[in-house]
Amino acid sequence: MKPFWTLVRKNFHDVRWSLFLSAAALAALGWLLVHVASLQETRIRQALSNGKGFNWVRQMGLDADPPSIEIMMAFWNHPFIILVVAMWAIGRGSNAVSTEIERGTLDMVMSRPVSRSSYLASQVLTSTLGLLLIAAALAAGAYAATFYNILKVPPPFWLLMRPAFNLAALAFPMYGYALLLSSFDIVRWRPLTIASVLTLGGFIARVISVIPVFKDSVWQPWAERASLFTLYNPVDAVSERSRYDFDVAVLLGLGSACIALAFLAFATRDLPANA
Amino acid sequence: MDRPPLIVSDGLTKAYGPTFALRDLSMDVRQGEVYGLLGPNGSGKTTTIRLWLGLMRPTRGRATIFGHDCWRGGLQVRRLVSYLPGELRMPGSLSGLGVLKFLSGLRDGEGLDRAAAIAERVMKLDLRRKVRKYSTGMKQKLALAQAFADPVDVLILDEPTSALDPSARLDVMNLIREAKAQGQTVVFSGHVLSEIEAVCDRVAILRRGRLVHVEDMHARRRLRMLLVRFAGGAAPPFPEELGLSVRKTEGPALLLEHRGELAPLLRWLATAPVEDLAIGTEDLHSLYNQFHGAEAVDEDEEPAR
Repeated sequence: MKPFWTLVRKNFHDVRWSLFLSAAALAALGWLLVHVASLQETRIRQALSNGKGFNWVRQMGLDADPPSIEIMMAFWNHPFIILVVAMWAIGRGSNAVSTEIERGTLDMVMSRPVSRSSYLASQVLTSTLGLLLIAAALAAGAYAATFYNILKVPPPFWLLMRPAFNLAALAFPMYGYALLLSSFDIVRWRPLTIASVLTLGGFIARVISVIPVFKDSVWQPWAERASLFTLYNPVDAVSERSRYDFDVAVLLGLGSACIALAFLAFATRDLPANA
Repeated sequence: MDRPPLIVSDGLTKAYGPTFALRDLSMDVRQGEVYGLLGPNGSGKTTTIRLWLGLMRPTRGRATIFGHDCWRGGLQVRRLVSYLPGELRMPGSLSGLGVLKFLSGLRDGEGLDRAAAIAERVMKLDLRRKVRKYSTGMKQKLALAQAFADPVDVLILDEPTSALDPSARLDVMNLIREAKAQGQTVVFSGHVLSEIEAVCDRVAILRRGRLVHVEDMHARRRLRMLLVRFAGGAAPPFPEELGLSVRKTEGPALLLEHRGELAPLLRWLATAPVEDLAIGTEDLHSLYNQFHGAEAVDEDEEPAR
C-alpha cells in the first residue's frame, strides 16, 4: 500500500494551494451569505406571508414562516458556489491522466511499480476528499457566521452538512466525466473543454427550465431532467419534504459510473510518451 | 557459455492504424549483459522500451521479462526494472531530495539512501534546491541517481546522457560498468555511438521499426581492418586459418577484415608481397552507416517510379 499513499501525499502536495484557496473562498462566501440572510430574514418572512416580492425565494419552495436555515439555503444556489466546486471537479478530473501525459510526468510514475488502478484510485481519493473539504468549508463558514449574525433559529452544524454534501455530490459526476474524458486523451485542453461545455450546457438547461414563461413548454421537463443541477437543492436538503437521498444517490451513482468507466479505459489504454 | 535470456521479444509489433512503429521484433537480452539499442529517431527504440515496460499494448507478438508477460504482468515487470525515460519531466515544486523520496516511495521506500548518495557524491547535486531551479542536465542526473540506486535486476536507460556534460557522461559510463559488475542487466538506448561502443556487450540496430542487425561487440572489438596494396596489384591467396576476408576493393588496394590471432597474420604479411599496409579497427559508426548511411539500402522504401 505504500506506493498508493505516496501518490496520495504527492497529489495533496500538488493541489494544496488550489484546495486552500477554494475552501477559503467558500468559507468566506458561506459567512457572507449568512450575513446577507440575517439582514434580509425579516423582509423575506414578510414577503413570503404577503405573497409580494422575493419571488426567487418562493420558487425554491419556501413556505410562509420557514425556519431560518431554509432562508439561509436559498442563497446557496449562488453561481459562485457552483463555479468553485465545478472548477475544482473539472480541473482535477481533466488533470488526472491526459495532463500528466502531456506534461510527461506520468512516465515518471508509471515506470515505477505502480498499478494503473492504484494511480487512478489515488487521484480519485484526493479529488473526492478535496471536494468534501471544500463543501465542508462552506458549511463551516456558514456555521461560524451564525455566532456573529442574528438569525431567528440558528441551525446546528450537522444540518448544514446535508446541503454541503449535496453540493459535493453535484460536483462528483462532473469530476467523473472529466476523469473519463481525461483517461482516453493525451492532451489537457480537450477533456477540459468538453467537460466544461457539458457542465455549462447542464447549467443553461437548468436555468431555462425554471424560467416561468417556459413552464408549460413540452420540452421543459426534458431540459430539467437533462441537467445535473436539478439534483442540487439546498433548501430541500434541510427541509422535511426532501428528495435529498434520491438526488444525492443519483449524483453519486452517475459519478461512480463515470469513474468506473475511467478505470476501465485507463487500464486498457496505451500510455504514450508526452504528446 | 551464453547466459539465459532475460528479456525476450517474440514477433513484437506495434501499429497505429496502417503505420507501424515496431514490426515483428524478435530478440533477446541476456542476463547480466549491457545491450545497446541503436537507430535514428522514430526507428522504434522507445516504442520497444515502452512495450517492455507494459506501458503500451502490443498489436501482435509478445515480450517477457523474467518470464512475466510485459503487458499482462506489467506491474511485476516494473518491480524488476528501473527505467529512465528519454524525455524527463519532474514536479518542479519538490526539492531534489523530495523527488528522490517520492520516486523511492513508489518502490516501497527502497534505494533512497543510495540514490541520495549517488546524487550528492557522484552527480554533485544540491538536493535541498527545488527541482524547478535545476538545469535539464541536473534533472537528468537526479533521475539517473534514482535509476542506478533502485534495487532491481534490469536497468533500461533511454538516452541517459543526452543532456549531460562530458564528465557526467563518464560518470554514467562508470555507473553502467558498476551495474554490470553487480550482475544487473542494462539496456542502453542512445545516439552517441562511442558511448554504446564503450560499454555494450551487444548492440541491436533498428530501422523504421524493424530490427536489422545485432552486433556482438566483443567479436567486433577483435576485428581488425587492413588496407593493403599488394605488389603487381594482385592479391595472393589468403590461408584459410588466418580468418581474412575481403570487405571491398578501393582502387589498387584491398580492404580486408581480420578476426583471429595477430601473430599468424603478421607472419603471413611478412612473407606476402605487400607494398603498403595500414592496420586499424572499425568503429561502430561504419557499421551504423551500413544501415543508416547515405548508401544504406532500405527494403521498406517504395521504389521510385
